[in-house]
Amino acid sequence: MNHVDEIKIDQPALSFEKSPESDEEHRKRLEIEELIAQSEHHNIPLNTLQKLALTPYGLVNDNLRRILWPQLAGVDVNTLERAPTLGELQNHPEYNQVVLDVNRSLKRFPPGIPYEQRIALQDQLTVLILRVIKKYPNLRYYQGYHDVAVTFLLVAGEEVAYAIMEQLSTTHFSECMQETMEATQRRLMFIWPVVNFENPELYQFLQRSTVGTLFALPWYLTWFGHSLNSYKAVVRLYDYFLASKMYTPIFVTAAILLHRSSEIFKEDCDMASVHCLLSRLPEDLPFEDLLQTSSMLYDKYSLTVIEKEVEVLILKEKEQRIAEEKMLLERRKKLTRSASTNRSYSIGHWLPNLLKSRSLLVTTAVSIVVGVCAYYYKNQYLAPGIS
Amino acid sequence: MAKKTYDLLFKLLLIGDSGVGKTCILFRFSDDAFTSTFISTIGIDFKIKTVELRGKKIKLQIWDTAGQERFHTITTSYYRGAMGIMLVYDITNEKSFENIVKWLRNIDEHANEDVEKMILGNKCDMTDKRVVNKERGEAIAREHGIRFMETSAKSNINIERAFCELAEAILDKTSGKEAAENPERVVIDRRNNDKAPGYSKCCA
Repeated sequence: MNHVDEIKIDQPALSFEKSPESDEEHRKRLEIEELIAQSEHHNIPLNTLQKLALTPYGLVNDNLRRILWPQLAGVDVNTLERAPTLGELQNHPEYNQVVLDVNRSLKRFPPGIPYEQRIALQDQLTVLILRVIKKYPNLRYYQGYHDVAVTFLLVAGEEVAYAIMEQLSTTHFSECMQETMEATQRRLMFIWPVVNFENPELYQFLQRSTVGTLFALPWYLTWFGHSLNSYKAVVRLYDYFLASKMYTPIFVTAAILLHRSSEIFKEDCDMASVHCLLSRLPEDLPFEDLLQTSSMLYDKYSLTVIEKEVEVLILKEKEQRIAEEKMLLERRKKLTRSASTNRSYSIGHWLPNLLKSRSLLVTTAVSIVVGVCAYYYKNQYLAPGIS
Repeated sequence: MAKKTYDLLFKLLLIGDSGVGKTCILFRFSDDAFTSTFISTIGIDFKIKTVELRGKKIKLQIWDTAGQERFHTITTSYYRGAMGIMLVYDITNEKSFENIVKWLRNIDEHANEDVEKMILGNKCDMTDKRVVNKERGEAIAREHGIRFMETSAKSNINIERAFCELAEAILDKTSGKEAAENPERVVIDRRNNDKAPGYSKCCA
């Protein structure tokens, strides 16, 4: 099947455009290259490496990422296992779902990549994903996991990508890989206290719109890989998240909401309008600034405090839901009551007719009885006299 | 605040197994285009299209859902607000057809009682790969008293018709009911409620 000549793409194609290196990027690249050159086996101390990844421009380019991402993720590249073949994994119960998603991941591959090469990479992607979930049967594949895996595959190659995914699946993404998405849904609510602390007006607006947190679900599940249209932005964010604590995407999400507040206030305050606005990330988000805001927010608010706030919020939502259900039930009751009044009204309408027909019946019956009696009386008593 | 440019707002929902073509159906309807390079839907997304039915401008807010079972707890919370639900299966995928029963059960559990339903057998252009014949689709629809259609988002078969029939069924229902039930619903002008052009005029 030729995928290239189809008509139109829903999402804009992922831009792999290489922009010329800025002065700051150049400076940072030289700094990192020097550190690598000085270090033994290219190993930079973890603290230094994390700092490089968190600060502006991250690890700068994919050549450096290829060397440093495994280190950041805590993966030893000297003890990599050989990948099994696709054939060995075809019987896995998730095989069909994974293939279905991998086949729909074309957007994530550089345009103009030779067909054979892309197919080979897609097969590697399928193997990589199935290997992880086969090794950890308690971890469940979700749609979006393939967006994370493809990012590592394209930068670091099949075997390193597998080792990184194995590491992340048992840490950062383990919650998302639970049997249901309930824990993830709850985690996404961590956005609200952070927004509320920073901009109560924005928080009130978003709550009033009842937008929920689903606009951020693909961001959280894929580290924004599914939703961004610039390859450069995706890998930059991956530098940041690899060097960060778990749940950091929550703080990046909060930073984005805070950054877009004036735009949000201009929108109609209803669920659909706000969801629509939020779920589409603008092309020109100043990610370096947003990441600094995110780090600041992470340091400022403890997860324990946020969690407590979330518990209150969940309780409030539950009460509201119960109240709504009660209202609905009462409204329904009222409707049935008015319907039954209608019914008795119609019975009242119907009754006179019934009475009419009954009286007709009675009259007929009485006249028959009278007739029979008269006949009997006549035969019994009058007949002899007459005859 | 933007002024309302429509008479009625209908919320529709697309459900069905992963890969049956829900997003493609919606994209064909909203943008009249098709591509085989679609991406998986994660969670839920929606599109809006305004159609004209019996002289009324109806804004269709159509929610597209992820098919993977793991997302069900999330997507089912959207069933409640839906006035119409399209259950999609893939005529080249037996399992997706068998699961229609499961999706119907989901609707019973989570949607409003009076929600309008429609079953769509998608990818009907792929005749050489068909494993579910049309009669089986019709039978299950008849059994549950639901409308049925075979569609192809790729060849643009019955897509517009499906949405307009569903919208019309909702319109029929709405006309005889108190509009106050849905605060977002605008009161219908009953004087103009005579049966008039069907979907021929719709989606203009």
